[in-house]
Amino acid sequence: MVTALLVILGFFAGLLGALTGIGGGVLLTPILALHFDITIRQAIGTSLVAVITTSAASSSVHLQRHTTDIRLGMTLELATAFGAAVTAYLVGYFNRNVLEGLFAGFLLYSAITILTKGGKVKPLEDESAFIVDEAVIPPYEPKRYPLGLAASLVAGALSGLLGIGGGPIKVPVMYIFMNVPLMVATATSNFMIGVTAAASAIVYYRRGDILVEYAAPLAVGVFVGSLLGARLAPRIHTKVVVYLLVGVMFYLAGHLILHLLRGWL
Amino acid sequence: MSEVREPGFDRIVALVLRVGAFSCFFVMLAGLIVGWFVSGRIPLGIERAGVLLMLATPVVRVIVACFLFFREKDMKYGWISLGVLVILMLGSVFGIGEH
Repeated sequence: MVTALLVILGFFAGLLGALTGIGGGVLLTPILALHFDITIRQAIGTSLVAVITTSAASSSVHLQRHTTDIRLGMTLELATAFGAAVTAYLVGYFNRNVLEGLFAGFLLYSAITILTKGGKVKPLEDESAFIVDEAVIPPYEPKRYPLGLAASLVAGALSGLLGIGGGPIKVPVMYIFMNVPLMVATATSNFMIGVTAAASAIVYYRRGDILVEYAAPLAVGVFVGSLLGARLAPRIHTKVVVYLLVGVMFYLAGHLILHLLRGWL
Repeated sequence: MSEVREPGFDRIVALVLRVGAFSCFFVMLAGLIVGWFVSGRIPLGIERAGVLLMLATPVVRVIVACFLFFREKDMKYGWISLGVLVILMLGSVFGIGEH
């Protein structure tokens, strides 16, 4: 029963995503493309729906804690949405092998980055956001808007190309270069992901690359999984979960590469 | 925050996202349950409605924020929100392809 499998898959992707802070989209796209017999373009479009679901649910929590900078988010969304819509459009002209190769490269890069950081993906201050209900944020003024917009354009372009959120680019740029407190950067990045993913998802949908019969069970599973994950996150030792995730990422990257090689041989 | 703002702004935007996420969840779930008993166009139609609702949620969020900024006489961010909205709309025009 494919539908039941998709609900379970979405559940675990959502759970892992919420526990580790790494979006579930990174896992969903390759699993859909490799094990569910749909093209990678359809896999990207379909998992974008799950990405929007997670962003909407989790950023409503951040907003109620008043840790999101809506003005900053909206400004950078000009760049992320534009980048995402443009690459989503271009993907229509991409060869399937190019996309699979790009995705495999992206998976390997992310997995190795996590390993070199010693399994630390979630900044410490972010964890306090789960404990403190009304966070106290020091006054700040975002700086270097041109740099922030340029990085957002890249994050958006990657999102439209691979069906991912792009948080790992936006958070450090806002935190390190734009003078934004880490907690606000995390919440604002999460806030932006919904619009960024929607900008590309609309293009994928119009092209027929969102398979509704796959997207609905997946999103239902992701929704439940990420809500549960957000509740469990403060209580679970995330390092073990992160290494599990890295293992899955390596496996999927290897599988994608094998899939590519088989096509050429 | 970067500028002083009433907390009500956050709450309204949060409400939009929450209502969107939960209603999509229940519509999609309804589609799955109906699909368990009958197959064909009816459950697929419900699931499609859920997916479209999910795609519309961020768009509605931008429209609401745009409206709130203009109402607060915060013209700069009102125009920025309108710009984001235009980009989202352009996506739905250029998405039509012969692929």
